[in-house]
Amino acid sequence: MNASQIARKAIKQAPLYLALAAVLIFLLFPFYWGFITSLKTEAEIYDFTGNFLIPKAPTFNNYFLLFTTKNYFVWFWNTLFVSLVTTVISVIISVMAGFAIARLKFRGAALAGTLVFITYIAPKGFLFVPLAQILKEWGLLGSLSALYITYPTFLIPFCTWLLSGYFANVPHEPEECAMVDGASRIGAIVRITLPMAISGIITAGIFSFTASWNELVYSIALTSGEQNRMLTTGVMGAFAQGDFMVIGPLMAAATVSSVPIAILYFFFTDRFVSGLTAGATKG
Amino acid sequence: MQTPTLSAKISRLLHKDSTLGPILLSPGFLFLAVMMAYPFFYAIYLSFTDKEVGGAANFTGFENYEKLFSTTLFAKTVVNSLVYTSIALVLKFSCGMALALLLNRPFIGQRFAKALMLLPWILPTAFSTMIWQWIFSPAFSVVNEVLVNKLHLISQPLPFLRDETWAMGSLIFINLWRGLPFFAITFLAAIQSVSNEIIEASRIDGASPWQSFWLIVFPAILPVVTIVMLISTIGTLGDFDLPFLLTRGGPNNATTMFALTTYNLSLGSGLIGLGSAVTMTMFPFLLVLIIASLINVRRQQQG
Repeated sequence: MNASQIARKAIKQAPLYLALAAVLIFLLFPFYWGFITSLKTEAEIYDFTGNFLIPKAPTFNNYFLLFTTKNYFVWFWNTLFVSLVTTVISVIISVMAGFAIARLKFRGAALAGTLVFITYIAPKGFLFVPLAQILKEWGLLGSLSALYITYPTFLIPFCTWLLSGYFANVPHEPEECAMVDGASRIGAIVRITLPMAISGIITAGIFSFTASWNELVYSIALTSGEQNRMLTTGVMGAFAQGDFMVIGPLMAAATVSSVPIAILYFFFTDRFVSGLTAGATKG
Repeated sequence: MQTPTLSAKISRLLHKDSTLGPILLSPGFLFLAVMMAYPFFYAIYLSFTDKEVGGAANFTGFENYEKLFSTTLFAKTVVNSLVYTSIALVLKFSCGMALALLLNRPFIGQRFAKALMLLPWILPTAFSTMIWQWIFSPAFSVVNEVLVNKLHLISQPLPFLRDETWAMGSLIFINLWRGLPFFAITFLAAIQSVSNEIIEASRIDGASPWQSFWLIVFPAILPVVTIVMLISTIGTLGDFDLPFLLTRGGPNNATTMFALTTYNLSLGSGLIGLGSAVTMTMFPFLLVLIIASLINVRRQQQG
């Protein structure tokens, strides 16, 4: 290609790139604006004179305020632990159930698949009232246990649905060969079939962790007390009471809380995209 | 010799499909039965009682439903939910399809652009909505600042979250912002799975790009489009996060929806029976959508 050909191609593609740039600005501007605001001083946040899209004297003061908020790290660990534990438990239970639904012939397998799909698409806003009542009777309402026990209600259906799709596409022959060679059924499944479905298992894990980390309804409705808050509810309680918002630390919190998910996601972008159709939980 | 027979029995149970299947399924099944099926039936029961926080539940028949149907709050809840869901879905579908077609053309940095685009869908809604609250803030909205003082396009700031219609519009806008990446990327994946040869053949036969999209590509991706739309409709209809975070249902209940009204009545005012009745009124809508989804998934699995 000579210079004029490249130039002609660039001109032809210009509208495409302009349209893409417009879409990217629309989708990403809020994150930029939140991040930029988090670096501004209290006075500058409300000052729109001059170029307000770049902080004039960047400061980490809002981050300092956030990290020195009483209980901030309690909320952080709560969120991390609840997300990790519920993810591990849900993925294990879902591997078993997804495997059974996709690969084993037994009475009720098809019905089980249908029921799992129904629980997967049922909205979360549907069950928090009766769950709160039931957890109260069990003496779990208010504590973090309420989240450990309820988060799997949306993680297991989703992971089982996702994983049964992966398991259905793993060939049967290697497992059968291993059993001919003397391995037990369970041994063959664990050593042969599960490793072949590892990509699906990782995807289920990432989606689960993200869903737990981002969860809101149950942490609002089912926990109480400063010690039992998650990052979202804790930060909201500290900096966003009603209409009154302390913008600086809130924007710092928005930035900080997005980082772990963004990192996880940039490592596994392809898996995210491939598992996306199954991951339509947000509406 | 007790032990070998026992272990032989166990290994036989773990070997046959007919026994291994139920064994593997049981932990998940039991959990969902206790934590989803039981609460669901419990909610039906509660909706027929006068249960309040701290009080006992007395059976009151259809009293909660009669009470609900006579309130403007409930009428607004239903209308708001349907307006929010239908407009947001139409926008997510049309903008998502347009963006998918845009992304379908080869360009430099496609992978990177796709990764960046997904961020609104992947990052925590609670925090991204706080940013939107700041963007739409009554006195210090950056959008108003640009429109009024920098570009001089309008003379008065827009009442994003203060006016009833604008508040609903803002919610729908943010729902579009959050859902658009998901729609675009799944539509794109479906479009790219359609065989290029068929499309090229139709072009050779004289079809315009517009025709070949609607006559060849769209019918081929319709199953994926339908299931994405149905699942998103259910999620949007039951959405709690956005209205709760952005408007708390206001102003004047103009943006309250099923999940938020349930929350406000049961956990805000302590009227658990009445709140459960709100949840149950969502059920007919859900049932239709769930059945449609099931039929669709069945068809996809068989085809």
